[in-house]
Amino acid sequence: MRRGLLSALLLVTAGLALGLASAWWSVKRVPGLGASAAGGPWRVSPLAGSPEADLHTRARVALGGLLALSRREAVYYLAQHDSNGAPLRSRCTYRVGGPVPQARWWSVTAYADDLFLFDTGGSRRHGVSSAQAGSDGRFAFLSAPRPPAAGGPLPWLPTPGDRGLVFVLRLYQPGPAAFVPPRIELQGACP
Amino acid sequence: MIDPRWWWRGAVVLAIAALVHLAALWALPRWIMARVLAGVQAEAGAGSGVMLPPPADHTQRRIVLPSPDLLYALCRYDVGARPLRVRAEPRTGQYWSIALYAANADNFFVLNDGQTAGRAPDLLIVGPDAGPVNAAPSAAAVRSPSARGLVLMRLLATGGDDDTAAAALAAAEAARRTLRCEPG
Repeated sequence: MRRGLLSALLLVTAGLALGLASAWWSVKRVPGLGASAAGGPWRVSPLAGSPEADLHTRARVALGGLLALSRREAVYYLAQHDSNGAPLRSRCTYRVGGPVPQARWWSVTAYADDLFLFDTGGSRRHGVSSAQAGSDGRFAFLSAPRPPAAGGPLPWLPTPGDRGLVFVLRLYQPGPAAFVPPRIELQGACP
Repeated sequence: MIDPRWWWRGAVVLAIAALVHLAALWALPRWIMARVLAGVQAEAGAGSGVMLPPPADHTQRRIVLPSPDLLYALCRYDVGARPLRVRAEPRTGQYWSIALYAANADNFFVLNDGQTAGRAPDLLIVGPDAGPVNAAPSAAAVRSPSARGLVLMRLLATGGDDDTAAAALAAAEAARRTLRCEPG
């Protein structure tokens, strides 16, 4: 009797542990909003915020993009690698640029790998947006821990420290044009 | 030859694991949203019920991926007993939206500046089991899929240079203070 109870307890414990571990693994397997390739290093979750989202998508979004708007209002593209497939690091210098996205309003923001903003020492330079787009239909900026020596006129986003780096491209009221992924290119050697 | 009892035990473990897996995925967004709603309730103004977080920076660590280009205004709702009327007068000339989130974090409704033709937004949120709605003529009724949820107003507060950014921030700050969440 006692042995049977112990055996049942072990089975339930094993089931609980396996269920929780598999749920955590499935949610954290693809961190952030990333769910499917959108072009270049960018990933997108078409059902983020949507009532049509499945259990896994909803749980992933709750952890990596809580309070996302549904796709009709906004689309969020997320990059954790550069255009050559190398993981983004805050200590490196990157040039991010491409055609101006088709949307009512857009922005690219730099986040640390915990998905929160960098401590930029009081500066509000966390990203670039429609407001800073050039008149030639293209945009570009540099991200680096310190002001780049040869940055020229490009805006600079401070990414202090040495940790993972995430870029998020937001398109509010996206247009019908196909998404053209901005390139993320490492500049020089990464110390 | 494996003892058949081990097959049976393995099947039990897998069945329990599958149920726990699905239950955990179902519960996670609801648990996170419950924490957010409790935080909003605790920090909202006593009279208005509206929380006005400061512009996002590195110290904002409650909700991931905060946008530094937006100002937010939030209020939680519980329309289990009576509806909630949501009104605002966001005249900023820039993008704004009012999004409604259910208790499972689904964004089930959005109203933006392009949809109102200049009229002030006026919503009546009713519960999932509410009967026929007698909304004021100016109010649009929205049925929430859950009794509890969140109203999140976003206002674009950025510009191309420091001067226009400061002006946009001031306009957005004034506009978000017009959000009212009151019993309907």
